[in-house]
Amino acid sequence: MFKRLIAERTGKSPWLFHINAGSCNGCDIELVSVLTPRYDAERLGFKLAGSPRHADIVVVTGPVTKQSLPRVLRAISQVPEPRCIVTMGSCPQSGNVFRGSYSIAGPLSKYVPVDVDVAGCAPKPEAIIDGLTLAAKILKEKRGRMN
Amino acid sequence: MTIVIDALQYLGYVLIFPGFLFCFLAGMLLCGIDRKLVAKMQKRVGPPILQPFYDFFKLCGKETIIPAAAERNTFMLSPLVGLAALVVIQLFIPVFGFTAFSGIGDIIVILYLLLVPALAMILGGAASGSPYAGVGLSREMVTIISCELPLVLVLLAVAKTVGGAIGTGLCFSLSQIAEYQEVNGSLITKISMLPAAAAMLLLIPGETGSHPFDAAEAETEICEGLLAEYSGAPLGVFKLSHAVKMLSLTSLFVALFLGGLGTGILALDAVLLFLLCALITAASISFVHAFTARLKIEQIFKYYWTVVSLLAAVSLALAWYGL
Ligand code: SF4
Repeated sequence: MFKRLIAERTGKSPWLFHINAGSCNGCDIELVSVLTPRYDAERLGFKLAGSPRHADIVVVTGPVTKQSLPRVLRAISQVPEPRCIVTMGSCPQSGNVFRGSYSIAGPLSKYVPVDVDVAGCAPKPEAIIDGLTLAAKILKEKRGRMN
Repeated sequence: MTIVIDALQYLGYVLIFPGFLFCFLAGMLLCGIDRKLVAKMQKRVGPPILQPFYDFFKLCGKETIIPAAAERNTFMLSPLVGLAALVVIQLFIPVFGFTAFSGIGDIIVILYLLLVPALAMILGGAASGSPYAGVGLSREMVTIISCELPLVLVLLAVAKTVGGAIGTGLCFSLSQIAEYQEVNGSLITKISMLPAAAAMLLLIPGETGSHPFDAAEAETEICEGLLAEYSGAPLGVFKLSHAVKMLSLTSLFVALFLGGLGTGILALDAVLLFLLCALITAASISFVHAFTARLKIEQIFKYYWTVVSLLAAVSLALAWYGL
């Protein structure tokens, strides 16, 4: 029973950790707009955490430059299980306008399993909230599968 | 036989009311009300009132990572020490007419015990071996020092007023203060106590480390400072301690300034206490949180040692001359 209680609550309290992997800053600003009074993602329990150790969902923006790749992987590995990885914007999925550049190591899915992709350049806040709630659902399932 | 019954009764005090269970439920609810109110003041919908419970249970189900550089036992035990100290404080604070434990010097005991949760956080942060925690640690210490002087002045002012009235000089017993207020009405109705009550209201956010005074846990600049390396259940216990600390300080305010409103029925009194605590939280924590930005650590120090201390000192001076 206690296990179910925890699994249920896990989906209701997803804390985000945001990593900028060479983003143009467009996606970063859109992510913050999700927490503003207009969209208020906190009503669904989302909260920006300051440290990867507190996070449940890692949001990666930007095309994953060669410089940032080791740091991104290190930060993701510091997030305790169960965790979800969400890529935000087209950059971490395909490289977007930076594709083919000598300094790009992406896409992110080459290095870590990505749970949700939110496409767009930059994605609309509605799309971001949709992607994040999907991630929260996956998080709940992952917790349910843990012993 | 009576020993067994006494033991069971004390066990009930410690575990259920006003001990652990009450602290857990009331503290978390206060925290949820605070978050909801802040959201409302910022024209947001806000999280559900039960959100702190969700957060706590989620954190219990997360993996707990112990950093390689950490001192394992201190790291794991310090959250529990802090929480235990807060539960003990709650046992000493009277619920209007009712006190679980009382003594002649319980104000002094509470003054010391209020330091323990902050010290536990410092200890845990230091044991985690993170440089962010190092910065948070020094800031947390300065915050403790800033709040200590005005708090002592407020408590002295109350002790002098009540002690002067019942003829014992200084009265450091919360149960005697409660009795005095039962007979003579709440202390907040006295002119001399108004500045002290205002000072105490201004102290509550500083003591709990809530928003404008949370330089020690600034998540945007030093990755939540002392808590940077904590994850899973220990982090949940720290979050719980923060919630319970809100309850302890607000109910201390009720005990000091709003006593004598009790009905004599314990269940009703408990509900009344909780409602008053929620009101004080709204006024002193949520309201300030909603429209201020984080202060720098030296601003916190200056603010508490000048404005708030002055208010408390005025009250103490008035009480000394028996006004
Ligand atoms: S997806 Fe577009 S807005 Fe987002 S980081 Fe890439 S280029 Fe910038």
